[in-house]
Amino acid sequence: MTQENALRIFKSLSDTSRLRIVRALTQGDMYTELLAERLDLTPSTVSFHMKKLEEAGLVISRKEQYYTVYSLDRSLLEQPLFDVAAAEPEQTDEQQKREDEYRRKVIDSFFEYGKLRAIPVQRKKKLICYEVIAERFVPGRVYSEQEVNEIIAPIHEDHCTIRRDMIGEGILKRNGSEYVRVR
Amino acid sequence: MKEFIEYLTRQIDAGRADIAGLEEEGRQDDADFAKVRTNIYEVCRTVTNALAARPNAGAGAVKAQLERFRTAWQAALDKAREHGDARNVVVEETKLTALADVIAHFPEAEE
Repeated sequence: MTQENALRIFKSLSDTSRLRIVRALTQGDMYTELLAERLDLTPSTVSFHMKKLEEAGLVISRKEQYYTVYSLDRSLLEQPLFDVAAAEPEQTDEQQKREDEYRRKVIDSFFEYGKLRAIPVQRKKKLICYEVIAERFVPGRVYSEQEVNEIIAPIHEDHCTIRRDMIGEGILKRNGSEYVRVR
Repeated sequence: MKEFIEYLTRQIDAGRADIAGLEEEGRQDDADFAKVRTNIYEVCRTVTNALAARPNAGAGAVKAQLERFRTAWQAALDKAREHGDARNVVVEETKLTALADVIAHFPEAEE
């Protein structure tokens, strides 16, 4: 248990609707529709709350025919509150943490469901977006121009600009009509 | 159209009371979804006020705009479902439910 996990647990429980869900689950496993009916919420709202509880590790889901059944992870809930509150922070480099946070924010604002909304004007942001696109390429593998375009085009319509920029930034290397990811 | 605007205003007032109640109960995420719902009534009231008064527009233009919202938000809901985006599924469903309610109360005789 780290301080980050503890924070996720407290955040997820600091909402009356989610506490009501946890309370309902103390009586037994339940599926989304039943919880929605009991708590007077829509099924999609219950699913949203369940996702938060699952991310915090408080709830486990399993598929049973057409239903998603939820149960409490009692091993976590039965831990003394003292131990959760006293959890130590994860040992990370502060500078690295800030950079990761910035990167995540750039990705969240420029990508939607895997598509690039717009090519960033600022170079730092552009590089982050191109690094995300580069993850679609296997390092060292040789790609034809058509293959490169086929990978980039579903992400953004201006695949030619992105392909050229990625070469310019040293992410892709061009050798005649062959392309290789080098970074 | 006056009654329709009054209906939207009542929904906005009721929505604001819901938001305050949910926040008071400590249900912040549900309150945020109630804000989304209330905002739809506000958007529809603004659109109605703006288009209904415009020459060559009127009720038909308002209804057409509401239908355009429905198409766009349904597409957004489909996309959110496709990507398992739980928050946006609730947001888009909330928008569509409020919009369906608005359309159901749209004055038929003035179409």
